[in-house]
Amino acid sequence: MGDYALLYILFTPFVGAIALIFVSNRQTMLVRGIAAGAALVSLLASLYLFFAYDHVKGGFQFVQRFEWSRQLGISLHLGVDGIGTPLVLASSILLFAGIFVSWHIKDRTKEFYIWLLILAAATIGVFMSLDLFFLFFFYEMSVIPMYLLLGMWGSHTKKYNEMTDPEGLKQRDSVGFIFNFGSNSKEYAAMKLVLFLSAFAIAALMGILLIYKYSGLNTFDILVLREQAKLMNIPVLGTTLDKIIWLLIFFGFASIAPLWPLHSWSPVGHAAAPAATSMLHAGVLMKLGHFSIIRVAFEILPETTRELMPIAAVLCMFSIVYGGFVAFYAKDTKYVIGYSSSSHMGYVFLGMASLDYISLTGAVMYMFAHAMATGMLFAMAGWVYDQTHSRDIPSLGGLSNRMPFITGCFVVACMASIGVPGTVNFIAEVMIIVGSWNKYPFQVIVAVVGIVLTLAYLFKMMRGLFYGPMDQKYSHAHDAVAVADRLPLLIMITVSIGFFFFPMHLYHVVRSGVDPLIAKIIRVVPVAALDRDSLHVKREARADSSPQNLAALPGDVSPLTPYASRSDQ
Amino acid sequence: MTFAFTMSPSDLLLLLPEILLTSWLCLILIIDFSFPRLPNEQLAYFSIAGLVATLGCLAWFDITGITGNLFANMFALDRMALFFKMFIVGSTILVILASIDYIHRFKFFRGEYYFLIMMSALGMMFMASANDLLSVFIALEFSTIGFYVLVTYLREDMASNEAGIKFFILGIFAAGLLAYGISLVYGETGKLVFSDMKAAQATPGLAIGFLLIFGALGFKIGVVPFHSWIPDTYHGSPTPVTAFLSIAPKGAAFAILLRMFLVALATFKPIWALLLVATSILSMTYGNIVAIAQKNMKRLLAYSGIAQIGNVLIGLATGTKMGSDAMLFYLLTYLFANLGAFAIIIAVSEAIGSEEIDDYSGLGRRSPFLAFSMLIFLLSLAGVPPLAGFIGKLYIFVAAMKEGLYALITVGLINIIISLYYYLIVVKKMYISEPHDSSPLKVSGPITVVVYVCLAGTLVIGIYPQPFTDWVVSAILTFSNVADPTASLPVPPAVIPFGG
Repeated sequence: MGDYALLYILFTPFVGAIALIFVSNRQTMLVRGIAAGAALVSLLASLYLFFAYDHVKGGFQFVQRFEWSRQLGISLHLGVDGIGTPLVLASSILLFAGIFVSWHIKDRTKEFYIWLLILAAATIGVFMSLDLFFLFFFYEMSVIPMYLLLGMWGSHTKKYNEMTDPEGLKQRDSVGFIFNFGSNSKEYAAMKLVLFLSAFAIAALMGILLIYKYSGLNTFDILVLREQAKLMNIPVLGTTLDKIIWLLIFFGFASIAPLWPLHSWSPVGHAAAPAATSMLHAGVLMKLGHFSIIRVAFEILPETTRELMPIAAVLCMFSIVYGGFVAFYAKDTKYVIGYSSSSHMGYVFLGMASLDYISLTGAVMYMFAHAMATGMLFAMAGWVYDQTHSRDIPSLGGLSNRMPFITGCFVVACMASIGVPGTVNFIAEVMIIVGSWNKYPFQVIVAVVGIVLTLAYLFKMMRGLFYGPMDQKYSHAHDAVAVADRLPLLIMITVSIGFFFFPMHLYHVVRSGVDPLIAKIIRVVPVAALDRDSLHVKREARADSSPQNLAALPGDVSPLTPYASRSDQ
Repeated sequence: MTFAFTMSPSDLLLLLPEILLTSWLCLILIIDFSFPRLPNEQLAYFSIAGLVATLGCLAWFDITGITGNLFANMFALDRMALFFKMFIVGSTILVILASIDYIHRFKFFRGEYYFLIMMSALGMMFMASANDLLSVFIALEFSTIGFYVLVTYLREDMASNEAGIKFFILGIFAAGLLAYGISLVYGETGKLVFSDMKAAQATPGLAIGFLLIFGALGFKIGVVPFHSWIPDTYHGSPTPVTAFLSIAPKGAAFAILLRMFLVALATFKPIWALLLVATSILSMTYGNIVAIAQKNMKRLLAYSGIAQIGNVLIGLATGTKMGSDAMLFYLLTYLFANLGAFAIIIAVSEAIGSEEIDDYSGLGRRSPFLAFSMLIFLLSLAGVPPLAGFIGKLYIFVAAMKEGLYALITVGLINIIISLYYYLIVVKKMYISEPHDSSPLKVSGPITVVVYVCLAGTLVIGIYPQPFTDWVVSAILTFSNVADPTASLPVPPAVIPFGG
């Protein structure tokens, strides 16, 4: 496979979806087999991609380029850097796991797997697009299947104010409630999700079109645009053009992330979605937001990013605290996990906002780690719902007697979500916190409070679901016994724990993507400009004489090249 | 102007498609009268054979590059005319295929139905070539007369009669506007051929004249404020006629609009661009907002059609070559998506006898094929990747972006969201709502063919648009007056594969 790894990863799920069209819905095992087979090929190829990615060389690798439209200057330009690689891997793992999590779907199995495969493939497509057009193409393509997945296989949720509330408090998600019009049907959730995300995607598209016009290069290619586009200092509407583009792109993509004021679609959507869809959605779809901001705004508008990224630093605090508190008071398991995801995505924004090597590396690693943790949580919330037909935490309880395996996995997933040492989330969180401390100490304190909140609401949910007295009506609930049921959880646990003990490859891969980006943003001489093969020579030359490169640096920025920290290799 | 026609036999070659179609439709009429017991399908397939021959002839012209002008420039056969003729003939073939199962609803004159459809198509082919105001008038009325009859073909149905009356009165009124506009323009300039008017001075008479002509053509394409006939006529007409009415005349009228604005009025671009921007914004917004409230599929598509035409007008408003390319491309994507959607309406109404959106409940269970195809067509109309409509919309927006029409793009983008809402309501009915009656639907063969062709068109253009964009670009290229040097495309810079 080698060079064509990206094509395998991207197109196998599509091929699987097309193959499924020709299979009868009655041959359930064949349907599942084709879906699992397609996901497995994609997973193996992305494992190969992850381990074959040369982090010493860095840059975009496994590049494929096919001209697609001459008139519009679009090419199907695929390639992954250190930021895209782990996210591609996370998507394939969650797709593979999601197929097993939805093993018991009876209604229109075939259609479910078709849309699930399309959803995952489109998500993977965003992570490997090096063309603004295709980035948007796959982005929008990943939103639409959500409508059908939520609408056809989702479940209704109760209204917020009808949740049982043992403490007698009337706690509501005020913002969510206002926009909810009191209705929480799955149709409502699906429509809200699609319209909300599409509306903001349209804003991002406006930004992309403005980049296309003002670069004057007649191309959507990110690699060309980031080298040659001159978008700075064009006055428009009393400000400069680059700021307008940046804001359009930032808020356009931040809606899916979801950043605080734009989050209201997310918990509703998660709660209504079937388990596998929630997994993919919280696990990787939300990362499309951060990833696209990094890929478009950071790459093409580095100077504006430096100027405007404090916006994210402010809003991420609200994300963390607001999401955490609502999760604490929510009574629906999926609301808890949904709000916890939205709160945890605030950490990623904090890591991005600091524009620091360590913190951005931590942010990308956190995206990977969070995908596993939240994937597990949603998978198990789905299992509990399938067994008990309830997501109302106060009415559940004592399920550990009935489902010891699930309880054990749930404890691990909670640990991972909190970021306890032993899971890769810990490493990522520590990196975000350490990297951001110099620039945003207040936000770091908020983030630590957020971790405490995470601990509180996850333990509360764990106690509510699995411990305490059990209602007799749940005595028929089963544990996950079959291999197909245990496999997805075991995979995600293995990945989560495995990368804690062997994090260095992940770290180096992510770092090789982060370094040139941050170097460009904070105006250190870009490492990309140096010949990577003779890096050592250059570094020595730098150290002993006073190189002319250093003179160009602003005084307050450390001239430390990012690769100086890599002498351990 | 001298009307000295010097016709050589080789000039007649340029008229070959029209001559072929004319003789074929006479033949249809003769066969229908001579063999009244002939099954209707056979007549339909015979008509399709003639249309396919015409299409082949047009394709041959397009490939070998046979072009030219006839009758003192009244009739122009350039690549753009060929594009629109193929567009019209192609849609006519699909409409006739889709009619085969619908025809049993007509009590009388089933044979003449094909004759009238082909006659309208012939008129529209002349519209695509009309290069002078007189031939515009004649061709436009020629094609519309066929439609006046077709719209009222369901004689027993009050709605069909109402549709006919409404369409007829407003159509005649539009014809009056057109004639008056032509007389004003001729009075001011003394010219009739578009390309002779380039040097015309801006006078109030000329402005009013062209405004009246634009009104008459706006009636044809159904832009706000000339749209009022559309919902009722679409609703009342026989569904295949609605499908035909929603595609072919719009293509033909856009051919005339392109010639009028980009050739005759090229010097007044700042003025008419404003007019087009205004009508485009009005059409998109009005069409989409009113479509939300619709309960009937045909009415929904009628209003969505008004909005789609607003989108096409963005391309015209740019007034550049790229905008015109984008327009043609958009019309192509609209052809497949819209005809496909109408074909499914015909199939569903044949099976359950209803065109109400509510009766589409559970279509996903009753006929997965129809529901899936409808989903694809509606999403393509909304502009969702990887379907044709998305590329069409993007092409138009990129062209408008190059001209700096930011307000228009913003309105267009917001309208995508509005339209997504009502298309998704139909999707919700089909897939999420439970069926009122869960018996599976039977779909007949010809409709299935139409749906497959439209599906293929929608998916192929969406996934690999390059051949189609090449086609529309070459269609406008030889339309020499439009080719402006500023639109010459810079070659995309070379890519550095490992840019770091």
